[in-house]
Amino acid sequence: MKGRLAKYSLWQFRDFFFQHGIGIAIIGLLWGYALLTPIRAASGTQMAAVPGSPIWSLVMQISSAVVSVSVLIAMNGIVSSDRKAGYYRFLFSKPVNRELYYAQQFFVYMVGVMLIMTILAVLLRTTLPAFSVGNFLMYAALIYIAMGGIGFFLSAATRYDWLSLAAVWLGARILRGFYSGPRSGWKGKAVQLLPPVHRLDDVANSLIGTGSAQSSDVLWLLGYGTLFFVLGLAVLRYGSLAD
Amino acid sequence: MDQLPATGHSLSNSTAPVVIEFKNVGKTYKSLLGNSVKAVEEFSLVIREGEILGIAGPNGAGKSTLISLMLGYLRPTAGDVEIGGMSARTYVERNGIGYLSELVSINPKWRADSALVRYATLAGLSDAEIPRRVEYVIDLLGLGEHRDKKVKALSKGNLQRLGLAQALLRDDERILVLDEPTHGLDPVWTQRFRDIVGDLRRSDRTMLIASHNLDELQRLADRVAIIDRGRLQRVVSTGYEAAAPTTTRFRLTLASGFELVPAVFPGAEEVGRGEYDVTVQSIQDLNASLANLIARGALIASVVPERSVLEQQFREAVGESQ
Repeated sequence: MKGRLAKYSLWQFRDFFFQHGIGIAIIGLLWGYALLTPIRAASGTQMAAVPGSPIWSLVMQISSAVVSVSVLIAMNGIVSSDRKAGYYRFLFSKPVNRELYYAQQFFVYMVGVMLIMTILAVLLRTTLPAFSVGNFLMYAALIYIAMGGIGFFLSAATRYDWLSLAAVWLGARILRGFYSGPRSGWKGKAVQLLPPVHRLDDVANSLIGTGSAQSSDVLWLLGYGTLFFVLGLAVLRYGSLAD
Repeated sequence: MDQLPATGHSLSNSTAPVVIEFKNVGKTYKSLLGNSVKAVEEFSLVIREGEILGIAGPNGAGKSTLISLMLGYLRPTAGDVEIGGMSARTYVERNGIGYLSELVSINPKWRADSALVRYATLAGLSDAEIPRRVEYVIDLLGLGEHRDKKVKALSKGNLQRLGLAQALLRDDERILVLDEPTHGLDPVWTQRFRDIVGDLRRSDRTMLIASHNLDELQRLADRVAIIDRGRLQRVVSTGYEAAAPTTTRFRLTLASGFELVPAVFPGAEEVGRGEYDVTVQSIQDLNASLANLIARGALIASVVPERSVLEQQFREAVGESQ
């Protein structure tokens, strides 16, 4: 008898909603409120947020940050919490493949993040008509795969996933800032292997603003996330759940 | 007579197919600093279909590590664990195992009954079967009044019962692994648990019970593997064999005919009014002497082994390894 993993996805979605979704929605709404209130106060009901304007640039930065924080929250404990708390003992004494279980959880959480991003984007569009919900969702999906893939690996391999992911994300930005450029020698080459977080601003601006981005940037981000997602699955396959 | 385990209560036999096989298994933990701890060493054991095998050992002996290896939660650093002719993990992923862990870890935010529905879904029960089996285990484990409670609101004993309930969701479970199953249960539920395990015994079901409680293993298991410091010290059959030599001491309590005891049991020590400690060489010897005592007119109230065979063997095995 095989476990009914597909049916269990409904429970995983419920867990996402209560454990991560509400938090993501609250943070998104607070940031949106904090962003829009001063803009509305300054420009009245006619908000001049058109692509290329300073306000538009601020909207891009905030919406991009909301996506990154949402992915951080979603990845928090996606694998590691079951290991830390010992929940794996009863889950995986059932006829269930643990790689499939967590891969399914990753994509169920993605659906959850995308749903919340859709709601937030629709709300933002009501006050910023130039804001494209579709473009924003494309960006959110890309970041979920890129950043979430790394988060998934860290959650499978370590116990401090969201801290590690935040450190990797920020560390990559800082190191690239220090060592990029032709004079950096081997360090400059080494930092090229770090997650391509420096491209996020460009990708955010072009993808959310125009719906297109440089394909090399998109592929680099997608490839990086996918590689680490697969590495996370390999950790689950060949590693131990128990300590 | 009191407390003598029944002989021949095993459904297992040495020709039954091997279900679980530990093949020279070892597990060594290594720290980042290079220190290593051997949790299990050169452990080999065969468990057959229909058998109830107990695992006994002091704290830190490696009981839970062995179970984690068997469920595929840990990878052995040496040897192999096979279930049904395949690797342990492959077997569990394909068939599942009814498992109650020593620490019952269920998300505290889940409701007791919805936790069972989740586990039943993962166990592969159909939508039609799930309510029926969930109701069955709730009723069996007396969880009816707690079903709506969050897991975090359950007492230790009720949590233990919920853990056992999720292990029994499938009626066709071929392997059950119970790690310290009566941990946290009150005496009433400890006895109830023993009755439930007795009812679970089937010729096509193999059970493994790890426990500190030797009396429990003596009552439930066919054989008990005694482990210490990660090594198998010995495997003890829990049934008394009539002619097998024993140096077990028994406490004999008589209602009348106290004066007859020294003649029938030379060397008997009087330890209280009508109570004597006697040593016999075999169960046959014990029965013959008791028959002699009764024939002379004594009235026996109880005969209790001072230590069970298992306890005696356990003390010897653990003592030897230390």
